[in-house]
Amino acid sequence: MSEKAASAEDWREERNRFLAGLLRGGAGALIFGLPMMMTMELWALGFTIAPIRLLISAIATIPLLFVLAQRMGFERTFTWREALRDAIIAYAIGILASAALLVLLGILKLAMPADEWVGKIAIQAIPASIGAMLGRSQLGAEKGSEEDEPDDDGENAGDQVTTSYPTELFMMAVGALFLSLNVAPTEEIILISYKMTQWHTLITIFVSITLMHGFVYALAFRGGHELSPDTPQWHAFVRFTMPGYVVAILISLYVLWVFGRLDDTAWTQILMTTIVLALPASIGAAAARLIL
Amino acid sequence: MSASKARHTESSDPHWIEWISGISSCALVGAMIGWIAWQAITANDEPPQLSTTITQVRKSGSTFRVEFDIVNSAPVTAAGVTVMGEIIDATAAVETAEVTFDYVPAQSKSRGALLFSTDPAGRDLRVRPSGYTEP
Repeated sequence: MSEKAASAEDWREERNRFLAGLLRGGAGALIFGLPMMMTMELWALGFTIAPIRLLISAIATIPLLFVLAQRMGFERTFTWREALRDAIIAYAIGILASAALLVLLGILKLAMPADEWVGKIAIQAIPASIGAMLGRSQLGAEKGSEEDEPDDDGENAGDQVTTSYPTELFMMAVGALFLSLNVAPTEEIILISYKMTQWHTLITIFVSITLMHGFVYALAFRGGHELSPDTPQWHAFVRFTMPGYVVAILISLYVLWVFGRLDDTAWTQILMTTIVLALPASIGAAAARLIL
Repeated sequence: MSASKARHTESSDPHWIEWISGISSCALVGAMIGWIAWQAITANDEPPQLSTTITQVRKSGSTFRVEFDIVNSAPVTAAGVTVMGEIIDATAAVETAEVTFDYVPAQSKSRGALLFSTDPAGRDLRVRPSGYTEP
């Protein structure tokens, strides 16, 4: 009798935890997705974007969420099956949240063709689903920590942790993607690159790299990175900051390509627009190393 | 979750792959800086150089669509570029049409179309940029 009650209690607790995870996901989708849902250029992109680019970015979101899920997830995920499940759940939350908000804001109307509905939702679902995934881990961090702590500390005793190199680069890519998605669709990005001279661009490169390095190593933020005393400073610069900047550049290029900002444009102009977008992207990448 | 709260210490004994990617990143960023610096040094204060070429004239419904490319060969972007099209019969313009491009980026190409209700066939068709602003 008491055993039965205990298992029912367990089940209820399990269910509540899962529901809380879903709600946190929804909250995350809203926090991270709203700025983009209220961006005019993204509504238009829903039907002006080349279908193949939309397809590629929609498919690319799945592995991205999958790897994110392996690192954080709605539940504590260990197997790839659970990670995949969490990725799909996050994507679904992103899609539902985008659809609901776009209908609420009067951007999606019944009279619109199905193409337009799908296009508009599919674009918004990308940032919203990343938001859903991050929402679970970041919003739930305070309360979840005491229950997560015990076996996490197994090998990383104390508060020192090391992250694998590919994971570090991946996290930078997520941060870069996130911030660049916020600004890339607006006309301002290309307008800024038209206003800037090549000299402005050169300085922007140096500023981006300096900010990236400073964010992670110089300023003592919580979650910041330290070097062991015998490692010279330039080691971290070459091993982490420079590849991080290249990741930011590549993500910027990808986002600009998806949004059709590079078509019929000269190489120099493409490079300049990319460097403008890489400024927020590199800050996003640096922030991701601190937060995630 | 403990990972997000703790401070990271980079390993002092890095894998060779970290050095490879670090060095190739430096090379890539160096090349990018070099390219832009070269552009910056060789750039002059040329104003936008706009030229149009008609690519196709097509009838769609009751309108005639004149498609054209506009090329800006200068290293400076032009904004608010207006393109005017005229159909001239004998000496007088029979019909004019106008379109505005938000931007024609430096050394790049944009596409557009003008719509006429007169058939341009057999008449003189002129399409030319008529103005721009600095972005």
